[in-house]
Amino acid sequence: MGFNPESLAVLQGEPDWLQQRRRGALATYERLPSPSKTDEEWRRTDVSRFDPGQFSTLEHLDGLKLERPSGLPSGVILKPLRQAAKDHPELVEPRLFTLVHADRDRFAALHAAFFTGGTFLYVPDGVEFDQPVLGQHFSHEGGNSVLPHTLIVAGKNSRFNYLDEYVAEDDAETGYRSGSTEIFLGEGAQVGYVAVQKWGRNVWHFADQRAELQKDSTLRLFNVTLGGKFSKTRVEASLAGEGSNAELKAIYFASGEQFFDFHTLQDHRVGNTRSDLLFKGALQDVSRTVYAGLIRIEKHAQRSDAYQANRNLVLSDKAKATSIPMLEIDNNDVRCTHGATVGPVDPDHLFYLRSRGIPEATAKRMLIQGFFGDVLDRIPFEHARKLVEAELESRIG
Amino acid sequence: MADFEIKDLRASVEGRQILKGVSLSIAKGEVHAVMGPNGSGKSTLSHTLMGHPGYAVDGGEVLFKGQNVLALEPDARARLGMFLAFQYPVVVPGISMANFLRTALNSKRGYDGKDKSKQVTPKEFRSMLKGELEVLHMDDSFLPRYINDGFSGGEKKRAEILQMAMLKPEIAILDETDSGLDIDSIKFVAEAVNRMRGPELGILIITHYTRVLEFIKPDFVHVLVDGKFVLSGGPEVADRLEKTGYSEWGKEETAQPQEVA
Repeated sequence: MGFNPESLAVLQGEPDWLQQRRRGALATYERLPSPSKTDEEWRRTDVSRFDPGQFSTLEHLDGLKLERPSGLPSGVILKPLRQAAKDHPELVEPRLFTLVHADRDRFAALHAAFFTGGTFLYVPDGVEFDQPVLGQHFSHEGGNSVLPHTLIVAGKNSRFNYLDEYVAEDDAETGYRSGSTEIFLGEGAQVGYVAVQKWGRNVWHFADQRAELQKDSTLRLFNVTLGGKFSKTRVEASLAGEGSNAELKAIYFASGEQFFDFHTLQDHRVGNTRSDLLFKGALQDVSRTVYAGLIRIEKHAQRSDAYQANRNLVLSDKAKATSIPMLEIDNNDVRCTHGATVGPVDPDHLFYLRSRGIPEATAKRMLIQGFFGDVLDRIPFEHARKLVEAELESRIG
Repeated sequence: MADFEIKDLRASVEGRQILKGVSLSIAKGEVHAVMGPNGSGKSTLSHTLMGHPGYAVDGGEVLFKGQNVLALEPDARARLGMFLAFQYPVVVPGISMANFLRTALNSKRGYDGKDKSKQVTPKEFRSMLKGELEVLHMDDSFLPRYINDGFSGGEKKRAEILQMAMLKPEIAILDETDSGLDIDSIKFVAEAVNRMRGPELGILIITHYTRVLEFIKPDFVHVLVDGKFVLSGGPEVADRLEKTGYSEWGKEETAQPQEVA
C-alpha cells in the first residue's frame, strides 16, 4: 500500500511528457516532509493524523460527467484532461501545473502525480457563450483517492462560465479528495468560475484554485465549501496584466467536527489592477475554520485597488473561527482595505425578529440566510446560484 | 376589568435594579402613558415587558390572557398579542422588509410551513399593506430593502407603526415613538395609532415628553421616577408636567422637547 512508482502504472497510455511530470511530482512528494506546525501556513492546520498512503487506490481514471452547452461554438475544446493531454499537447503541456505548483507542499505534489478525471476547457480568442459548462466529479465509494484537476484556457476577449461540482454518493465516505483548478485568462477575457465542494463528511480534502489574469481580463470566482472532515483550499489570483480584475468570493458552512482552512492570495503584480475578495462562513457545533488572506501589491503595481473581507457567523459556543488578514504593500499609490469579523448572531437582531412573533429557530434561520445574502448575489451565473442556494438551505435546515 | 396587569414588577440590568416595584392595569380600549425623566426605568419597562434577554426579572408578574407572560419567550408574547414599537428599531442586513413582515404575519397565524391554509397569500398581504401605507404616508419602495437599512429616523418609526397595524396586537407598547421625529411624522404616526384605537386594543405609551400626548390623547398618565410610579391620574397629570417638568421629584428636566430649528 501507499503511493509509489508502481501506483503510477495504472495511468496507462499517457504521453511521455505527462508520465515524466507525474514521476517528478511523485519524487517531490517523497522528498518533501509533512508540513510542520512551525510553518506559519500550517500552524493551526493539523495534518499529522493524515496518511495519504492509506487511500492509495485511485477510484476511477476519468470519472467525470461533462455537460456540454448546446451549440458550443466551433474551436472550443472540452474534454477530460487526460484525453486532452494526448490530443492537444501544444495547449496542455506548457500550462499544466504552472500555476498550481507540484512542489508547493506534499499534497500538491501528490495531486500532481496522481490527478485523474479532470476537465480541460479551451475557448479560442473572441468566442463567447452564455450557457455554463458543467463539470461534475463524483466519488462512488470511500477508502480511496479522487483527485480531479481542471485546466481552463480563456482566449483573448472570450467570455464564458464554468461550474465544477464535487459530489459524494455516500456522505459518510472516508478517503482522500482534491479538486484543483488552473485558469489562464487572456487579454480581455471574462470568466465566471464556480466550485462547489460537497465531498463526504469524513474525507481529507486539499485544493488549489489559481488564476492568472492578463490585461483587461475579469475573473469572477466563487468557491463553496461544505464537505470534508478536513478541507484546505487555497484561492489565488495573479494579476499579471494592467486593467485586470479579480473578484474572489466564497461561502462555507461548517458543522459537526468539520475543519476548514482557507488561504487566499491577491497578487497585484502590475499597476491599475483590482481585486475584491469576500469570504463568508457560518460555523455550528464544534467545527473550526481558519482563514488567512494576503494582499500583495508589488513594487510597480501603482494605482491598484484591493479589498479583502472575511466574515464569520459563529452559531455555537464550541465552534471557533480564526481570521488572519495580511498585507504586503511595496507601492504607496494604492487603495487597500481589509477587515475580518467573528461573532455570533446579533442578540438584538434576534430579539427584534422574535418580538414580532417569529419563533427563535425561524428567526435564526432568517439571520443566517441574511448573513449570506449579499455574497450569494455575487454568484456569477444563475445555474450555480440556484444550486448553491438549495445546498445552503438544506444545511441551514 | 384589567386585560393586562403588571404586578409589582422588579427588574435589573447588569446586576443593578432599575424597576423597583411597578404595578399597572390596562383594559383594552384604554390608552395609558408612562412619563419619566432620563434614567427612570422607561426603557427597562418596555424591554422587560417584551422579554429582552439583557433585562433580568427580579420579581412580580405580568398577567395577560390568564398567563404570566414573564415566563414566555419574546416570540410567544408577541403571538399572544403583545407588540413593542422600538425606540431604536435595529437595522438587520440581508433580510428584506417584505420577507420580515410576511414571516411575522405567518408566525402570528401559526403557520409553520405545513398548513398552507394559514399562510398569508400574496394578494392578502398586498391589500393589508396598501391601506396602512397610505395613512402613514409611505410607499412600497421600502419593501425590498433590508430591515430598517438606510431608513431615516422618521421612516423607521413609521415602519414600526406599520408593523403594528399589520400584526394587530391587543396590547401595544410604544417606546418613545415620538423621539427624533419632526412634527409631520408625529402627526402621521399619531393618525395611524388613533385609527387603531378601539375596544380591541390597549396602548401603553412610554415618553419623556408631553408632545406626543397632544396627538394621541391618553386616558391615564403615570409618572415613573427612579423605578417606581410616583403619581398616577388622568390627562391632567400630563398638563402638570408640561408646566413644571420633573422638578417636584428633584429632577431638573422639562417635559417639553427642545425645539429643533
